Amino acid sequence: MSRLGVFVCHCGENIGATVDVTEVAERCKHMPGVAHAEDYKYLCSNPGQNKIKQAIEEHQLDGVVVAACSPRMHEPTFRRAVTDAGLNAYMCEVANLREHCSWVHEKADSTTEKAIDLVRLQVEKVKRNKPLDTIQVPITRSALVIGGGIAGIQAALDIADSGHKVIMVERSPALGGHMAQLSETFPTLDCSQCILTPRMVDVSRHPNITLLTYSEVEHVEGFIGNFKVAIRKRARMVDEDLCTGCGECLQKCPTKNVADSFNEGLSMRRAIYVPFAQAVPNIPVIDTENCRKFQGKKCDRCAKACPTKAIKFDQKDQIINVEVGAIVVATGYQVMGTERFPEYGYGTYPDVITGLQFERYASASGPTQGVIKRPSDGKEPETVVFLACSGSRDAAKGVKYCSKICCMYTAKHAMLLKHKNHHAKAYVFYMDIRSAGKNYDEFVRRAIEEDGVKYIRGRVSRIYEEDGKLIVKGADTLLGGEPVEIKADMVVLASAALPNHGQGELAQKLHVGTDPYGFVAEAHPKLRPVETTSAGIFLAGACQSPRDIPETVGQASAAAAKVTALLSRSHLAREPLVAEVNRKPAPQFSDCTGCLLCETACPYQAIGHEEIKDRNGNVLKTVAKINPGLCQGCGTCVSLCRTKAIDLHGYSNEQIFAEIMSL
Amino acid sequence: MDVLRNKARDLLAQGQVQVVIGYEAGTGGARRPSFVRSEADVARLVWDADCVGNLAGYLTRAEIKKMGKIAVVANAATLRALLQLTAEHQLAEGAVSALVVTEEGAVLELSNAQAVTEHVATLPASLSAADREKLDQLMALSREERRAFWEQELQRCIKCYACRSSCPMCYCGSCTMDCNRPQWVPVASHEMGNLEYHTVRAMHLAGRCVECGECGRACPVGIPIHLLTCYAEESVRRQFGQPAGTSATLNYALGTFRPDDQETFIR
Repeated sequence: MSRLGVFVCHCGENIGATVDVTEVAERCKHMPGVAHAEDYKYLCSNPGQNKIKQAIEEHQLDGVVVAACSPRMHEPTFRRAVTDAGLNAYMCEVANLREHCSWVHEKADSTTEKAIDLVRLQVEKVKRNKPLDTIQVPITRSALVIGGGIAGIQAALDIADSGHKVIMVERSPALGGHMAQLSETFPTLDCSQCILTPRMVDVSRHPNITLLTYSEVEHVEGFIGNFKVAIRKRARMVDEDLCTGCGECLQKCPTKNVADSFNEGLSMRRAIYVPFAQAVPNIPVIDTENCRKFQGKKCDRCAKACPTKAIKFDQKDQIINVEVGAIVVATGYQVMGTERFPEYGYGTYPDVITGLQFERYASASGPTQGVIKRPSDGKEPETVVFLACSGSRDAAKGVKYCSKICCMYTAKHAMLLKHKNHHAKAYVFYMDIRSAGKNYDEFVRRAIEEDGVKYIRGRVSRIYEEDGKLIVKGADTLLGGEPVEIKADMVVLASAALPNHGQGELAQKLHVGTDPYGFVAEAHPKLRPVETTSAGIFLAGACQSPRDIPETVGQASAAAAKVTALLSRSHLAREPLVAEVNRKPAPQFSDCTGCLLCETACPYQAIGHEEIKDRNGNVLKTVAKINPGLCQGCGTCVSLCRTKAIDLHGYSNEQIFAEIMSL
Repeated sequence: MDVLRNKARDLLAQGQVQVVIGYEAGTGGARRPSFVRSEADVARLVWDADCVGNLAGYLTRAEIKKMGKIAVVANAATLRALLQLTAEHQLAEGAVSALVVTEEGAVLELSNAQAVTEHVATLPASLSAADREKLDQLMALSREERRAFWEQELQRCIKCYACRSSCPMCYCGSCTMDCNRPQWVPVASHEMGNLEYHTVRAMHLAGRCVECGECGRACPVGIPIHLLTCYAEESVRRQFGQPAGTSATLNYALGTFRPDDQETFIR
């Protein structure tokens, strides 16, 4: 017979006011197998925990039921307490009298009866509990960083500096991400590339970082501490070991009319190219979709020009398999294109551009060497209208959320325009100005007060072309909705930041959750902001939601700290609440028939098979095998198994059945 | 029939198989399973329209497997069961040859899953016309009427488990019904326990039933119990498009987790 202790908590008034706690404790004393029951004001307090410990010793208890708040709250507390008194942690169960009873019912006899029932369930369960030990899983002490923007760069450097190996995967041919495209950064107006490029070089030189550009994550399996990742390293058609980055090949390429994605399509590049002058690595890529050679024409001018014979037209994609203990997702964002705005011309007016395109014009490394021009005729615009919240905060036509960065960069854009062309007029249409951040509001005030940017509170209903001008029709809601019409030379849409393309597929490969917009979901919005819903996978930067550089860098360092903490251990302790395939004496060996229907049902790929062999190595039976390191204890296989060969430790069929039958 | 006997004789004589499982004459004109292990016994084999039983159920038995390589005289249901058993890793690929008698009287030897799969694809729907009609009649009833029908029928069930023993897909060494820690389903054959047993069995066969009707034929009290599993199978096929017994690779609707599932709650 079990000797169980039941401890009923008042939780101050939380439980005590609705449930007759003393009555619960009294009635529990008479349950079969219960050797001791008592109630206490706050069991989670130190004196409360001591009561449990004392009772375990005094009454020689072999199991404990704590009737208190949700086990999510204090299960670890009470499990620690019973461990201190010499019991196995998993011989303690929590009956949730607060969330499941006192908070949801009125004070009544039936409420107390329900509380007693809830305790009875756990009493029946604990009677059948078995001591369990935490699972020790070895950790591969290296990390994978997906994305080579500022978030990935910062995370990789921080992890590498702490002495762990990092593999960094970047989809494009060079590091830098969106930050490399920016001109100046708010609120200090320091040059984006000037502060970024040293970091890029640090990554490429760091002895602990393996950089894989022009590569993508192909496949991920495994679990925290033990991920196996297949990375597709796409063929550059240029041998990275031989190439010296001299750039001879770039000059000779006859294909000159490919839209340059680094310049947001505002200039043309060749078919063999380096995304930008300061690119890391400074190794060209052949764009096979546009290269004459790959379109079946005769051309090998780049190969002829190459002094080191680094051009390899027969290069193939490589699959690189790596093992890592942690993964940081830093895949960034993309901006909504102008074609998404019917009222602003569906992208048909060349002089309606996105904020990111404006950045390229304003950038010294951009298509106009930093002179702000307009795409249609290359003239310098005199009147520029900036539209904040283009697509953001617009549930009907765009996205519901605030893209967060636009208020600040719009102020910056208007300011840069005024700095570069003192006669230019800058108008900003806005809904609200959201400039919370260190020196942010001062920055916006500076744009308005010192640089004379005209801020108009209102939305723009329509833009159309007339006599070479863009007519911007809006309303000034501070003047009582007075219609406003501006004849502009150029319009810049601060268009919404969206999850990066391919984000959804990557999230599925990684088994991480996404929010309704498609951004990677954090494990807890407040308390676990850099962890994903999958253990061992962390996130940094705008793949979680739109954010600016300081926040991204801070978050990347936070993710790196989490990774470092994980990798600093040699083993990982996991909850032993995992499923297991049973064993039986010969000739059955197991109830498992080896049908392996469970294998496909497992959402965590934790199920494989194993052969039961005799002494001579002959296979007697093939049965399912659950990897305890991968199993999350969801129980899908348990319910699927026809022969009940699978049982979940801590929640066995027998325990659940006994709970139900006790009612 | 002679072609079949000759084929069986050849296989046994050349040692390609150690046993041919087929049909022989039983009492009252019925056909019963025949296990032919020597050339001398080949004459016992018969083949005609009365050979409706599903012989696949024997293929997974340890005592049969021990005999060596097997050839089985297969009707459509046996072939489907053969595929499903291969998919569920109960038969090793190539361990069993299927002997199919064509309408022209020729005998095809299908010695691997590929060949069986291709042959099964040419066969018509597995449910017999009579069963089809009965099932349609049942589905035309209201839920209450249907429940009343099954309660009435299952009252007669004596829990002899003949349906389970005859079913080729009920190959489990230990059945949930026999599990007594915990005792999921009461042992006695009372109304509730009977309903529980047959509901659980239908659920276990949903997406796996090859619709051979063997359980219905095996029932000593004449409950058309196969209609229950056939209906479960049909529902799965209709709703998920994953039919049982058509492929030797696992395609089990109730056990498939796919990140691109059409239901968003599961992702």
